[in-house]
Amino acid sequence: MSEVRIAVEPRTEFGKGAARRTRRSGRVPGVVYGHGTPPRHVSLPGHDLMLALKTPNVLLRLEGLEGGNSLALPKAVQRDPIKGFLEHVDLLVVRRGEKVVVEVPVQADGEIVRDGMLDQQLIRVEVEAEATRIPEAIEVDIEGMEVGASVHAGDLKLPGGATLVTDPEALVLHVLPRPTAEQIEAELAEAEEAAGIERPPTVEEAEAPEEPSEEEEKAD
Amino acid sequence: MLIPRKVKHRKQHRPRRGGMAKGGTWVNFGEFGIQALEPAWVTNRQIEAARIAMTRHIRRGGKVWINIFPDVPLTKKPAETRMGSGKGSPEWWVANVKPGRVLFELSGVPEPIAREAMRRAIHKLPMKCRFVTREGG
Repeated sequence: MSEVRIAVEPRTEFGKGAARRTRRSGRVPGVVYGHGTPPRHVSLPGHDLMLALKTPNVLLRLEGLEGGNSLALPKAVQRDPIKGFLEHVDLLVVRRGEKVVVEVPVQADGEIVRDGMLDQQLIRVEVEAEATRIPEAIEVDIEGMEVGASVHAGDLKLPGGATLVTDPEALVLHVLPRPTAEQIEAELAEAEEAAGIERPPTVEEAEAPEEPSEEEEKAD
Repeated sequence: MLIPRKVKHRKQHRPRRGGMAKGGTWVNFGEFGIQALEPAWVTNRQIEAARIAMTRHIRRGGKVWINIFPDVPLTKKPAETRMGSGKGSPEWWVANVKPGRVLFELSGVPEPIAREAMRRAIHKLPMKCRFVTREGG
């Protein structure tokens, strides 16, 4: 994984007022720690950081840090849940060749059989890898997987140098039988009845000619 | 319908509506989700109606997660009753939803189908919501 260079500035004022001023100026407050060093409070450029954090476990090269440039991994990222902008970031100092434990996303590639339904239980697995060689994602080939087939964490093919930390017996994904249309219809009808929800007629039902009732037939 | 199995107190104070969601603000189980943009008390009937609308659209594919639970009872006094004589009887079960909260998640269907299913589900809910996708794999 390539490094992303980020210019950091030391932060001297603290508290929510100062943090808000930092955010208003387009920067993100953050803290850098690790390897027994005292925490260093910094601010980072908001747009550059946002682009860098689109890659999971991105390796950042912090320039302008007190005590010299340093490599760091994002440890915790706080975002506004509605607007999505970055509020604060925790960065963990790492060294070249050092092994770190990170969560890596699992990506399923391919199409399973038509009668199956993919149920992915784990979307990330913990792996131990060199800080400079963290895999971006772990791909799982699910092409033609049959109903009942499953992939456990131990079955994942990890790139060279990475070892699994998650329990190898943990279920990553499996293929369930797809419920039939009748089963779903029965379940929904039962749920609608229990909730007292009236289902509107479908277009076909509404357009179908109504059958005459017994009283109308007698009147004729 | 979702309802607590056992409660410590039958009647509670009405839940506070201020503030933002503290957790459950990202899609963590499925690929797509419905995120609340306004605070609301969502009843168990509304949750069920949204789930049914979504399931009916996706038909045989997909899995639905419900991330909220209606664990707060709301009470109501009968009509034409004079004030006093204690608190009314429990009438609804609601989930206290704050802005940012992901209410439902969905996986196993293509995005256009998920988007339409969730649009239909959003119409059953009492507040503004939006369609969100999972970030970072």
